[in-house]
Amino acid sequence: MIAPSAYLLLSAILFGIGVVGVVARKNILIILMSVELMLNGVNVAFVAAGSYLGDAAGGVFAFMVMTVAAAEAAVGLALLIALYRLKETVDITELKVLKW
Amino acid sequence: MFLGNLASLRYFLPEFAVTATILLLVVLHVVTKSPRSTASGFLSLLGVGAAIFLAGVAPAGAGRSIFEGMVAHDGFAVFFKVLTALATLVVIFMSMDSRDLAGRSQAEYYIFLLSTLLGMFLLSSATDIVMLYLALELVSIPSYLLAGYLKGQERSTEAAMKYVVYGATASGVMIYGFSILFGLTGSTQVAEIGRSLAAGKATLPMLLASVMVAVGFGYKIAAVPFHMWSPDVYEGAPTPATAFFSVGPKAAGFAVLVRFYYTVFAAADPGTGLWRLTSAVDWPFLFAALSALTMTVGNLVAVKQSNVKRLLAYSSIAHAGYMLMGFVLLSSAGIEAILFYLVVYLFMNLGAFYVVVLVSNATRGEEISDFTGLGSRAPFAAVALSIFLFALTGIPPFSGFIGKVYLFAEVIHRGVYWLAVVAALNSVVSLYYYTRIVRAMFFEEPKDASAIPVPAVSGALLVLLVAPTLILGVYWEPVARIAADSVRMLAF
Amino acid sequence: MAGFLATVDFSNPYFAVLVLLVIALAMSVGFVLLSQALGPKRYDRIKYGVYECGVDPITPAAVRVSVKFYLVAILFILFDLETTFLYPWAVLFRSLGWFGFIEMAVFVGILLVGLVYAWKKGALEWQ
Repeated sequence: MIAPSAYLLLSAILFGIGVVGVVARKNILIILMSVELMLNGVNVAFVAAGSYLGDAAGGVFAFMVMTVAAAEAAVGLALLIALYRLKETVDITELKVLKW
Repeated sequence: MFLGNLASLRYFLPEFAVTATILLLVVLHVVTKSPRSTASGFLSLLGVGAAIFLAGVAPAGAGRSIFEGMVAHDGFAVFFKVLTALATLVVIFMSMDSRDLAGRSQAEYYIFLLSTLLGMFLLSSATDIVMLYLALELVSIPSYLLAGYLKGQERSTEAAMKYVVYGATASGVMIYGFSILFGLTGSTQVAEIGRSLAAGKATLPMLLASVMVAVGFGYKIAAVPFHMWSPDVYEGAPTPATAFFSVGPKAAGFAVLVRFYYTVFAAADPGTGLWRLTSAVDWPFLFAALSALTMTVGNLVAVKQSNVKRLLAYSSIAHAGYMLMGFVLLSSAGIEAILFYLVVYLFMNLGAFYVVVLVSNATRGEEISDFTGLGSRAPFAAVALSIFLFALTGIPPFSGFIGKVYLFAEVIHRGVYWLAVVAALNSVVSLYYYTRIVRAMFFEEPKDASAIPVPAVSGALLVLLVAPTLILGVYWEPVARIAADSVRMLAF
Repeated sequence: MAGFLATVDFSNPYFAVLVLLVIALAMSVGFVLLSQALGPKRYDRIKYGVYECGVDPITPAAVRVSVKFYLVAILFILFDLETTFLYPWAVLFRSLGWFGFIEMAVFVGILLVGLVYAWKKGALEWQ
């Protein structure tokens, strides 16, 4: 039996890598991948907490997060393709038509 | 206590109406081959109208926790359902004659609009964090698509892309907070989480979780450190969708914010109408700072905008700041003030955006310079816009004033003077940039003085939006009473 | 070290896996580091070229993939993940009874509307 804290540490590390990816990377595709990484970190935490507490809700939540993440990724990718067709770039720093 | 799934169905009729309309729209769209038919617009009007009727006019007895505790059917939820459905109704009208959407297939647009509405229904009534997350995403994902609906237009696509990146990140952070709360308390029920947290001591993970959840909600209402997406999205999106974002999802965001924080971190004291903090996390102070920051940044940046759409985007950020004032007070009267303000805000903000739609239909632009001489080119629209803008400022005979009075009175009553002072200064700043538009409309010479025709239907809708803005300024009792009745939230 | 070894449970069936893992890791990392340290470093045009089993590369390594694959991938992800909800339902099929069946029928029905939409919009056609 691995201690629950180990899972939580793993989840925090995954989440942290995701956040760093979102903040530091310029390629939108990689940013979207980093968001998925964040959500997977969340999933690890939910499944670990659910199994530690003996509560199926943790697993249910992870299922929901997975499907919603898929929907989000689908929309994100579709928009990315539309954007690439217009601008020929997937660099987020190139998105500067709109700014204050 | 909790109603089972089968028994819950009859309390879920508004949602069914919206869902059925969405499915019908999809089927209708693939069966008929005429993409530009206005049939989808009328069908969605019908569906939303039915939802308003089922939710507000003939509601099944409120005060139940349905679907095994997933969703609350209470006065608070009913209030927000009617409010968001009304906003959607107006926006559908607005979309039907908007130049932005002309020449495009509109069926999907209404499908996304109604999906967002369904999400807002669920968001305002969710009492379980699983449901809450799903509802939040059901609001967000169609919103991304609405923002990017003008495919082939760089502005719109870019706005949608930014929206996705911000939105996905914010909801990821929020849900990480949820996972911590779930791990700490062992429950996904909001009320149960509240009870467990009240019993235990405040810990660092708990503080962390409440801040992370605040990120998600803060993004939805566009409160200041999490507002960066909103001006870009508001400017890039088709104007009716912008009007929709600035009212609907924002209202639903406030609903979930109030419901979540008040049931998790506070408990109602039935005698005094006050709420006690049950945990040591001092979120009222956190949100007071957020409120002051939100209104100040929103107003100060709005001052230097030349695009009216973007100006209204920043002004709507500022208004989220005003409404947050009611949230930090821990009193039922504070929540009432928020609800009342949301009603007032619905009419004045949608009205302002509607005039922008009408003007940009004719002038093909939404810069302040496109509004010069509107007083002579389309007198009625100009007068209406002035009324909306003065109401947004909070000048006496209009409804916005009463809304602000409620918020200010409660803040002063609770002794949070500094917040009242900040808000008052902000109102003065906002007067400056709102009057800039009014001045352009009436006192500046237009380059092109030709009259702008306002179709009869649009005029009628404008009257319908002006009327509450005027009437609520002098006779607000009934709405205030409804708001007061709606504050009662379920906490099973 | 001795104190640490006392805590290790050698009878655990996964202990052998751990040993294997450690040895495999040590060997792979070790060889990479060794070749870095000891190997000669001579860079020329061929060394920088793409390695294709010793044959001269015939196409650029970064192949352009048709954008149509994106659409297929997006649709696949969506419908594939929706089926995850069928698994728990299938496990509990008997105890859920007719109500569960109807609920799932509604769910699949809504998915079907989505599929019909994608089909009619021509998303499933390759050309």
